[in-house]
Amino acid sequence: MNKWKAKLSSQANKAMSAIIPVLFAFGIGAIAIILAKENPLSTYYILISKSLFNIKGLLKTLHYAAPLILSGLAIGVSFKAGLFNMGIEGQIVSSGFVIAILGYKLAFLPAGVLIPILLLSGVLVGMLVALIPALLKAKYNVNEMVVTLLLNYAIVAVLEFLTSNVFRDPSSGYVSTNMIGSNAILSRIGDTKLTLFFFIAIIVFMIMYFVFNRSKLGFEITAMGKNRSFAESTGMETQKKTIYIMLISGALAGLAGAGWMMGEKFAYTLSFSGTPGLGWDGMLIALLGGHSPIGILIASIFYAVLKTGSSSVAIYSNVPAEIILLLQATIILLLSIRFVKKKSHKQAEKQIEKIINKEVV
Amino acid sequence: MEFILKILSDSLYFTGPILLCTLGGLFAYKAGVINIGLDGMMLFGGFMAALVIFFTGSWVLGFIAAIVLAILLGLLFSYFGVTKKANFIITGFAINLLSIAVGKYALALLGSTDINVINSVVRARSTIDVWLLRDIPILSDIFNNQSFLTYFSFILIFIVSIVLYKTKFGTYVRVAGENEESAESVGINVNKIKYLAIILGSILCAFAGYNVAINQLASYTPDITAGTGFIAIAAIYCGQGSPKASAIYAIIFGLSRSLALNLALKIGSIAGLLEIIPYVMIVVVLTVVAIIRERKTLYRGFLHE
Repeated sequence: MNKWKAKLSSQANKAMSAIIPVLFAFGIGAIAIILAKENPLSTYYILISKSLFNIKGLLKTLHYAAPLILSGLAIGVSFKAGLFNMGIEGQIVSSGFVIAILGYKLAFLPAGVLIPILLLSGVLVGMLVALIPALLKAKYNVNEMVVTLLLNYAIVAVLEFLTSNVFRDPSSGYVSTNMIGSNAILSRIGDTKLTLFFFIAIIVFMIMYFVFNRSKLGFEITAMGKNRSFAESTGMETQKKTIYIMLISGALAGLAGAGWMMGEKFAYTLSFSGTPGLGWDGMLIALLGGHSPIGILIASIFYAVLKTGSSSVAIYSNVPAEIILLLQATIILLLSIRFVKKKSHKQAEKQIEKIINKEVV
Repeated sequence: MEFILKILSDSLYFTGPILLCTLGGLFAYKAGVINIGLDGMMLFGGFMAALVIFFTGSWVLGFIAAIVLAILLGLLFSYFGVTKKANFIITGFAINLLSIAVGKYALALLGSTDINVINSVVRARSTIDVWLLRDIPILSDIFNNQSFLTYFSFILIFIVSIVLYKTKFGTYVRVAGENEESAESVGINVNKIKYLAIILGSILCAFAGYNVAINQLASYTPDITAGTGFIAIAAIYCGQGSPKASAIYAIIFGLSRSLALNLALKIGSIAGLLEIIPYVMIVVVLTVVAIIRERKTLYRGFLHE
C-alpha cells in the first residue's frame, strides 16, 4: 500500500515539474498577447480548441506529432544516459535531404519496395551522422555536447550549398530539390492528414517503451545517466554503450527526418525543419516528458497541439503565430531548473523514524 | 590586389563581433560555466539597441538600453545556472531561442521584416578615420575606417588577458572555475564571481550585437548573428580558454567568413562551404587535444577522469 502511495506521489511530482513551467510560460505568454492587444484567455482557447476539440483538428495534430515523438525520443534516450546529443537537428535535416534525393532518383521503383528502402536509408543516415560524435566521445572522451551542437551548423551550411547548386530543381521558383516521386509519398488516410508515418512513430514509441522499462539496455541507460563512473566500475562497458545509445538516438532522428520528408514536405527546402527546427522541438519534448517514453508521448502531442494551434491563432486573432516560439523558449528556460524538489534526506529520515516507531509501538 | 585588401579589411570587419563574443564567453568559461547563450545575448543586444534607436533616434540611448538588457540577461542566466543550479546548457540554449522568439514576435507586431535605423544612424559616422593610418597606403586600406567597437575588440584581447591573469578578480574567476571547493575554503564567494563573469560576458555580447545591427547593417533582423555566438564557442574551445589563442582562432574564423562572402562573388556559392571552417576546426582541435591528453595520462599511468 505504502509502495503504491510512494509511486503515485513520485508520478505526481513528475507531472507537477512539467505542469508548473508550462503554466508559468503561459503567464509570460499572456503579457505578449496583451501587447498584441488581445485577450490572453480567448487566445489560449483558440490555440487549444482548434487543434484538440474537433476530430479534424485532432487528426492534424497527431500528424504533426509524429516527427516530434521520434525526435523527443531521440533526445530523451541520449539525455537520460547523460549524453548530450545536441545534434538531432542536424541528423534530421541530413536524413530529410538524402531521402529527398533518393526519393527522386529511385522513383521508378514500386511503392512497396521504395518506401521501406527510403525509411531504412533515413535511419542509416541519422546513424552515420551520429557516429562521428559517438566515436569521438567513446574513444577519446571528446565533449559530445559541443561537437554535436556545432556540427549542426556545418551540416546546414553544406546542405544549403548542395540544395542551391548540385541538386537544385531548376524549374522551382525558390531554392529546393526536386519533388520525390509519387511512389515515395506516404499517402494520406481518407481525407485526414494522417499517414503511415504516425503509426510508425507509435510502433517505435512502443519499442522504446519496452527498451526503457523492460530491457537490460534501458537499465544501463539509467545507470549511466545517474553515475557514469559507478556504472563503469560495476562492469558496464560504457564506451560501447555510449556508441550504441548515440546510434539509437541518431536512428530515431533519421527516421523522423525521412518520415517528415515522405509524409509532409516531399522536397528539401532550406526551411525543411521549420523554425526553430524539429530537433529543438524534440529537446523541449524530452525535457517536458522527463526523458520517459510515456512523458515524451504526452509532451509531443501537447506540443503538436500548440504548434498546429498557433496558425489558427494567427488567423482568428491579432496575435502573431510567433507566440508559439515565445512559449517554447520560455518553457525550455523554466524546465532547466527543478521546481518540485525531491524529498530531502532529512524528510526521508523523519519518515523512516516514524515508521520504525510505529512498528515498535 | 584590391581584392585581397578587401578580403583582409572585411576579415577585420567580421572578426570584431566574433572577438567580442569570444572574449565575453571566456570569462564564464574560465569560471567553469559553459555559456551556450552567447548568440542569444548578442542578438538581444542588437535587438534592444535597434528598437530603442528606432523609437528615440538616439544611439546613446540605444547603446545604454542594450547594456541594461545584457545585465538583466546575465542576471537571469546566472540566477538559473548558478543559484538554481540549472542545467546551464539548456538555460543558455533557451536564451538563444528566446532571443529569436522575442525578435520575431516584435517584428510581427510591428508588421515589418526588420527594424531599420538607417535614418537615425549615419553609417559614415560609425566608422573611425584613424589619422595615423590615413596616409599609409596598404595598411590604411586594411585597418582604417572600421567601427569603434571593432578597434575596441582588438584592444580588448590584451585587456582581457591582463584582467584574467594579473588582477585579483581574474585570479578569483580562474580559481572558481578550476576548483570550486578550494575557492570557497579560502573565502571566495564563488557564486558572486560566477555572476560577475557571466554578466561581463553578456555585456560584451551585447556590444557585438550593437556592432553588427547598428554599426555594420543599420538594421535588425533575427538572423544578424549568423551563428556568431557559436563560432565564438568554437574559438574558445579551440583556444583552450587562453585569451590570446582564442583570439587567434576568432581572427581565423573572421577571415574564413570574409573569404566565404567575397569569394562567393567570384566563384559562386561553393564559397559558402568556407563557412563550415569554424565548426569543422573545433572537431579537429578538440579531438587532437583529447588524444594528447589521453597519451599524457596513459604515459603517467593514470586512466582519464
